[in-house]
Amino acid sequence: MSSTDMTSPMAGNRKRSLLVDIVGAAITLLTIVAAVIWFFPVAWAILTSLKTDDETVRPGFHLLPEAPTFNGYLFVLQHSDIGIWYLNSTITSVTVTVVAVFMAACAGYAISQLRFPGRLLLWWTILASFMVPGSALIVNHFIIMAGVKLLNSHLGIILPMLITPVTVIVYKQFFDSLPREFREAAVMDGANEFQLLFRVFLPMNWGITTALAIITFIGAWNTFLWPFLAVQNEKMMTVTVGITAVQDAFGVAYARTLAGAVMAGLPVALAYLLFQRRVTQAITLSAGIKG
Amino acid sequence: MSYVELQNVTKRYGNVEVINNLSLGIEEGSFTALLGPSGCGKSTMLRMIAGLEEITGGKCFIDGADVTDMPPAKRGVAMVFQNYALYPHLTVGQNIAFSMSLAPAPKALQESRVAEVARMLQLEQLLDRRPAQLSGGQRQRVAIGRALVREPKVFLFDEPLSNLDAALRSQMRLELARLHQQVKTTMIYVTHDQIEAMTLADKIVVLDKGVIAQTGSPLELYNKPANKFVAAFIGSPAMNFVPADVASREGNAVTVVFAGGNRETITARNPATADKHIEIGVRPEHLKLVASGSGNAAFEGTVSIIEQLGNSTLLYVDTAAGPLVVEGEGNLKAATGDKVGLAIDTANAHLFGDDGKVL
Amino acid sequence: MLKNRRNEILVAAVLVAPFVIIYGWLFVFPTVQMVYLSFMNAPLIGQGTFTGLKNYQRLFADKIFAGAIWNTTYFVILTVVPGTAVALGIALMVTRLKGWLQSVILSAFFLPYVLPITVVYLLWDWMTNLQFGVLQYVIEPIVGKPVNVWRTIPWFMPFAALLTIWWTNGFSILLFLAGLRNIPKELFEAAALDGATRWQVFSRITWPLIWPVTVLCLTIQLILQLKIFDQVYLFAQGGATQKTMVLVQYIYEQAFQKNAGGYAATIAVALFVIVVAFSILQYQVLRIRGAR
Repeated sequence: MSSTDMTSPMAGNRKRSLLVDIVGAAITLLTIVAAVIWFFPVAWAILTSLKTDDETVRPGFHLLPEAPTFNGYLFVLQHSDIGIWYLNSTITSVTVTVVAVFMAACAGYAISQLRFPGRLLLWWTILASFMVPGSALIVNHFIIMAGVKLLNSHLGIILPMLITPVTVIVYKQFFDSLPREFREAAVMDGANEFQLLFRVFLPMNWGITTALAIITFIGAWNTFLWPFLAVQNEKMMTVTVGITAVQDAFGVAYARTLAGAVMAGLPVALAYLLFQRRVTQAITLSAGIKG
Repeated sequence: MSYVELQNVTKRYGNVEVINNLSLGIEEGSFTALLGPSGCGKSTMLRMIAGLEEITGGKCFIDGADVTDMPPAKRGVAMVFQNYALYPHLTVGQNIAFSMSLAPAPKALQESRVAEVARMLQLEQLLDRRPAQLSGGQRQRVAIGRALVREPKVFLFDEPLSNLDAALRSQMRLELARLHQQVKTTMIYVTHDQIEAMTLADKIVVLDKGVIAQTGSPLELYNKPANKFVAAFIGSPAMNFVPADVASREGNAVTVVFAGGNRETITARNPATADKHIEIGVRPEHLKLVASGSGNAAFEGTVSIIEQLGNSTLLYVDTAAGPLVVEGEGNLKAATGDKVGLAIDTANAHLFGDDGKVL
Repeated sequence: MLKNRRNEILVAAVLVAPFVIIYGWLFVFPTVQMVYLSFMNAPLIGQGTFTGLKNYQRLFADKIFAGAIWNTTYFVILTVVPGTAVALGIALMVTRLKGWLQSVILSAFFLPYVLPITVVYLLWDWMTNLQFGVLQYVIEPIVGKPVNVWRTIPWFMPFAALLTIWWTNGFSILLFLAGLRNIPKELFEAAALDGATRWQVFSRITWPLIWPVTVLCLTIQLILQLKIFDQVYLFAQGGATQKTMVLVQYIYEQAFQKNAGGYAATIAVALFVIVVAFSILQYQVLRIRGAR
């Protein structure tokens, strides 16, 4: 207890914090290493795609290509329908995004702001729809689309993908959260419901709409099961489905196959990297309601 | 019929009746304050006039037209909200022009009206800013501008100054008074702050739990309160209330006895009731310090706290009849512990019966 | 607010109509149809005959169905808890970082989540390639020889689980990051002043406070992995698909390869019931544990 011992408590703290610092630095290093390992599959695919086909099958492990080449990419572009698949993916993904987000905003607004018969029923139905696995409905979707002769068409791919209860719920909760004074002020200014939705509520926070749009786009682009079932005709395939066909066609030409993979994943990877904040926001929003 | 008239208006939320059978008339061009504590129904009344709340029973007329079932945009009213409710994604200019852009009015007309309003409210430099970049007072002016541009028949204000700090509040009060002089439109102003009501309004409607306690000009309410509620609510520092026993009556003159034994004779305004126990109300400035023990003191007591405000002095005096507040001159000489007597200016004393009504 | 009631209902109808039409046609109706079909002996497209509970009776005795349940359960066990644990670990590491370093590191962990499954498939197919796959350099020293992962049954599911965790972890990591961010800094500062060790801080402060997020992650992952199809289908192509068949795959096989629309619907209903039952059960169990 003597306060004349100058080495004891102070030194103890200093030693302790030094240890903490070392451990801290070690953990940070570990984090970086873990991230590098995690990223490896993607990096390895990109590197492989830049090699020649001979290089890829050479024995031994060579990280970098000897002479980076885009031959794999050129081959895929010239000898597969990837260009058409890109077009199909773009058409379907963009359409799904625009239509689904628009519909969800309108429906979410109505459920939030208006009183109409069946409102609660609709809301409960939407909430309950989480329990129904979409993949259980593929059979019925197929039957229905076959019935209206929409298989092997863009519309046939698009329609079942328009079901996005999450988007409606996020919008509804967003509209609920706005202070009622904005609505009242706009009503007193003479706004009707449509003006309220499109000139006040939505513009007040374009961030949410952007976030939902990007996440819808990525989801639509990446969907495999339904576009796979809905389309037999290779010319109508989306890129996500098409590149599995590429693999069959190219066999052991790994550089080409991986070039195809890189091209297929590039748009959504870019969408994420450019709009990281929005994607993060959309995910936390949509997870918030699943809880 | 008055310019704005509420006839037998009732407001119910489910089974809870918030306003019961209230009738009120507001003259054209007047500045009327709806004053009262939280929950008294003043905002509800305003919102019923605005059309933001349904009128459960009764009717509302504006400029002769029955607006009871009319949507807000058609009533010719404009509202300034407590939290301003400025559209955050629009500039100041766009906010002000918003109602016109909905119509839609021709761009040239929008621009000229916005410029006019901006000049009146000194917002010209701010037209391209967003609300987030403005101070509280500036936002308030934009909210007023947004209402002004609609050239309404009635301006409605819902506690517009309560989010501002004290200095800003007095400044905005002056601006509102000037605004009213300039545009001469009917204004209805909801507040819980009696100073705002007293300074701005030519008529004050005091509300207590959904019922009108009294209507009148500020001075009327101050000098001739109709009941204890209004007497206590208006005036700062608040009126002193002292219980007293009725000793004798002669016509309108009532002689009362205070705890402590002293008597006073006060003239009642209304014919006195048969109550034996009533209350005397007297404002701090109507109590005078006299020497302790002198014959004309109504109360004897000891000074406990002195507050010196510069232009006046407040003395808190403990008496047999309870603690009383006395307001005196700025250079009043007194010390804590002084024994003093308090005389009542009987011309300005009020008698209140059991039910709170003035006698 | 004063409104013309009829007008309000009309406007509401216009606003919800597009969603309700699509939703009714392509969600509610198919769900009902699915249940209806499950009682029928029907091809994929075309009329069938009503067979009552025959399909369900067949389902209960169906060894392949039992196998699919087991495979799906196995997969769930391999992915849900380990995946959530991994995500929590990564989140704890990432949350310590700041600024651009955190951004870059987080992107590395999250990027797989935005990739299509087919791309993930091609990436991992390449890495596990029997002759040239880079992972064989890791496998060979341990086992003694290169392993054809996707054709060697005991290896199939674990590897499918591994790549699924790699693919979907980003979502859980984000949730954990948000949850960790919500813990008031003062708690950690107080703990530092009290001299708590890293482990103590984690077990006494962090873990209890992010428990709700942990529950959420587990629940979402569970519901997600019960519906697994894509990666198992893709990697099992050309091999002994039955040994590793999962529930959705069985639906697909019955409907599109065996043309048994009715029976496929029966399996789908069974899947639906399982998903609902599991998610309710798990949510309640975890919530009770959390409340204690």
